[in-house]
Amino acid sequence: MPPPLEPDPIVTAFRQHVDRSLLRENLKLTPAQRLAKLQSALAFMAELRQAGKNARSALPPRI
Amino acid sequence: MDPDFDKLLPALVHGGVEFILVGGVAAVVHGAARVTYDVDLVYARSPANCERMVDALRPFAPYLRDAPPGLPFAWEPRRLRHGLNFTLTTAAGDVDLLGEIIGGGTYEQLLPHTSEIEAFAVRFRCVTLPKLIDLKRAAGRPKDFEALAELEALRDEQQS
Repeated sequence: MPPPLEPDPIVTAFRQHVDRSLLRENLKLTPAQRLAKLQSALAFMAELRQAGKNARSALPPRI
Repeated sequence: MDPDFDKLLPALVHGGVEFILVGGVAAVVHGAARVTYDVDLVYARSPANCERMVDALRPFAPYLRDAPPGLPFAWEPRRLRHGLNFTLTTAAGDVDLLGEIIGGGTYEQLLPHTSEIEAFAVRFRCVTLPKLIDLKRAAGRPKDFEALAELEALRDEQQS
């Protein structure tokens, strides 16, 4: 296994743009609450995906 | 199919399966805000555990992810023992079963780098945040760079 690059310049660059407010909010939750939040977010996205699909199928066909 | 963590994880625990939660869902357990769709599990490769894993997942009708329908895919312990890593789609979401993981090795090698998590009224092992960072680094995939940055930021937050 290659030795890890520490600090990795790419990861360091990305770190500046991490939204830490989201992390701090998550750290107030228990692990179980974090998993429930993820599951809820996935259900929300599935709903939106379906809504998008429905909207596309309702469009008139392109000529 | 979106993951049903509340069905999948209890089924594995109640089935006595030895597994460790890794990957994006483990990152969420540690506080990551990134959304992930599949559950990555490192499982013990003993014949008994392969049998327990097969039994526990059977109700979720596992099938090879991205494979054409209708393949003669029999979900049985022998298949698990003869393979190593499996990317599956199931009725409880996409599941990756890893007999070994880059940077972490086998279930037994990874076990010292886990902690017990309680969720959905069951307890299971999850890789620790420092080890998860090691695993992401070892994978070395460009797509992991952002996830790695977030995990390192999480580590900073937890230490501050």
